[in-house]
Amino acid sequence: MKNRMGFILEIIICFMLILPISGCWSRHELNSLSFVVGVGLDKAEKPGEIQLTTQVVKPGELKSASAKNKSSGSGGNGTNAYWNIKRTGYVASKIIRDFSHESSHRLYFPHNQVLIIERKLAEEGIQKYIDTFIRDNETRFNVLIVVSEDRANEVLDVSPELEKLPAINIAKLVETQNVTSESPTVRLIDFIRRLMNKTTAPIAPLIRVTSDGNEKTVEVFGTAVFKHDKLVGELNKRETRGLLWVINKVKGGMIDVAVPSGDGTVSLEIMRAKSKMTPVIQDDTILIKLDIKAEGIINSQSGSEDITSPVHVASLEKELSAEIRKEIIAALKTAKDLNSDIFGFGESIYWKYPSEWKKLKMKWDEVFPDIEVALNIDTTLRSTGNISAPAVPAKE
Amino acid sequence: MRLERGIISSSQLTFLVAGYVQGSVMVVAITNIITKQYTWLVVLSGLAASIPLAMVYIALARKFPGKDLIQINRIVYGPYLGKLVSALYIWFFCSIAGFMLTYVGEIIKYYMMPETPKYAICILFACICAWTVRNGIEVLARTSVIFVMIIIFVILITFFLLLKDMQLTNFLPFFDLSLKDFIQGTHVMLTLPFSEIVVFLMVMPYVNKGVEAKKSVILGLIIGGVSILIDTVRNTAVLGVTSTIMVSPSIESVRLIDLAEIITRLEMLVITLLLIAMFIKVSVMYYGSVLGIARLFNLRSYRPLVLPIGSIIVSLSILSFTYLAQNVGFATGTGPFFTLTFEFSPVITLLIAKIRKLPK
Repeated sequence: MKNRMGFILEIIICFMLILPISGCWSRHELNSLSFVVGVGLDKAEKPGEIQLTTQVVKPGELKSASAKNKSSGSGGNGTNAYWNIKRTGYVASKIIRDFSHESSHRLYFPHNQVLIIERKLAEEGIQKYIDTFIRDNETRFNVLIVVSEDRANEVLDVSPELEKLPAINIAKLVETQNVTSESPTVRLIDFIRRLMNKTTAPIAPLIRVTSDGNEKTVEVFGTAVFKHDKLVGELNKRETRGLLWVINKVKGGMIDVAVPSGDGTVSLEIMRAKSKMTPVIQDDTILIKLDIKAEGIINSQSGSEDITSPVHVASLEKELSAEIRKEIIAALKTAKDLNSDIFGFGESIYWKYPSEWKKLKMKWDEVFPDIEVALNIDTTLRSTGNISAPAVPAKE
Repeated sequence: MRLERGIISSSQLTFLVAGYVQGSVMVVAITNIITKQYTWLVVLSGLAASIPLAMVYIALARKFPGKDLIQINRIVYGPYLGKLVSALYIWFFCSIAGFMLTYVGEIIKYYMMPETPKYAICILFACICAWTVRNGIEVLARTSVIFVMIIIFVILITFFLLLKDMQLTNFLPFFDLSLKDFIQGTHVMLTLPFSEIVVFLMVMPYVNKGVEAKKSVILGLIIGGVSILIDTVRNTAVLGVTSTIMVSPSIESVRLIDLAEIITRLEMLVITLLLIAMFIKVSVMYYGSVLGIARLFNLRSYRPLVLPIGSIIVSLSILSFTYLAQNVGFATGTGPFFTLTFEFSPVITLLIAKIRKLPK
């Protein structure tokens, strides 16, 4: 009898324990949260102040909203699936909390996709503004960093054609750049890893708004080059690919070369690329050896000549190497002009010559512009596509 | 008089030691600030240095079969000095259990429930440990087998999921660490995770085959050490230089896992791992202090002591640290010297026992 009572008591206690298990101490109901998908940092009118724009999702509108709202460019008129909240202040984290004056929902950052920084702000240094995005436990290191030529709040207000949310559109846009390899994809963790390095300079993709009449679209072009936390210049698309060749980030891309013995041009598509950086120090001269291996295919041809013979292919490979070499040299020249070690040459010297590096790192700014680079580019064409000779009328 | 009726097998002892070692450095990177990208190196050297100490503990346990640390102290140092030394050991066990409980509280509070007060988490966690300790060493040893398997599984899974994010250049240049930093790092690694196994001198009498204990303790140390090593290598390879400023590199590196946007946000795995590893660590320390006090005062049972000691440990955990970075500061500052005192004194005990030709 006593045993049975104990058993019943245990069951009752177990059931009572179910009640507190669900816990509601620091609960956040889904309908009291607003999901932030994009953050923009702009310079405000007052010196030292910034304007922070956060883009929050309006889940109810996601289903019904048309992909592109043509009647008005501004958000918040009831048909857009997003709401851009803007506020100015001195410190990013304080502004984020201040949003509660305007937003009835608590802003929720873990789903933030992109952090857009206005170019003018980046030129003044961004370390103090991005600290909250590194330190706060709601934000993530996967967030993409983008520098915008125009004001970030305008970029976040351009309704995209394919996506419903401008921020998601920008994030996907940046991630799709590996098709051309003309713009880098930089996560916050990559950015701060370069920022914490004494010599290696951070980079970020550049975006801008292009308008064609009333139609506005966001496009990615080139790379923003930083020195420590200040933006000092930019690389154009071609130079960007030169940079990506060096840092082993080329995933694809088209390169046009002229047909060596004939008319027209041939488009070669890069399928695979690999690079290796080896510094050599010999009696106070530093030489960076770069070995680049690229594989490509023939993607299109504008002439009528059959270029698939081994002789032709070999000369095409040569042309391709020359083109890659030009891209890298262009990137090197710009980086040297800006005196910003975006390639990580200093780091590679530290890895191989740690003792020499101790002296070098003090005067790296003087050493870097005079550094010599030896390029060894090896290209292979793997395929001519579905056809060999082009489809042209038969010759007599 | 047997305080503990349970008996554990030597393979269970292996897992208990492994889980115990995995406990403290799983989440909070202790030496990253000092040793930067060479933490893996000091993990190895710390492990190597801890094996001789572990041999001393085993030799002591085998010299006095069936006797725990408190009884050994009484025999070697005599009734009065022996009791003093034992009391100091109990204080040491209590405070380490308190510190470990703080880790749990702070991590859960910061990463999971920022608005929940730390004491709520600490008390709940201590309740589970108290329940386990009340049920005896056998229960603890059996759970540790399952838990250690889970820990190893999670570590391996996260390692493989992060392979594509790893950059081996983060370990370069190969050895650019000053000797001072290397010794300090090794010291921290030796004293904090590895040689804290001195508490197993309280458990050793209940291992069924005393002869095999040596093999199982060393094996447990190596399992624990290797899983810490994999963890450290993963963090350094993924995070690089940024791992030196992070409060918890493990959580931050696992946060970066993103497999086609489907397998993502896995940091809760690391926190789960922390919880179960800490459960083993706190429970063993807790068990050691409870059993020690019962032995010190010649009690017939240790069970009435479980709750009072538990409340002392909880109070210690709330009083000891207020934020995680402070904990790291302790671990790289006074902490290693504090624990080394207790970890090294069994060597002296063994020497005195040899000189006095004990046991007679």
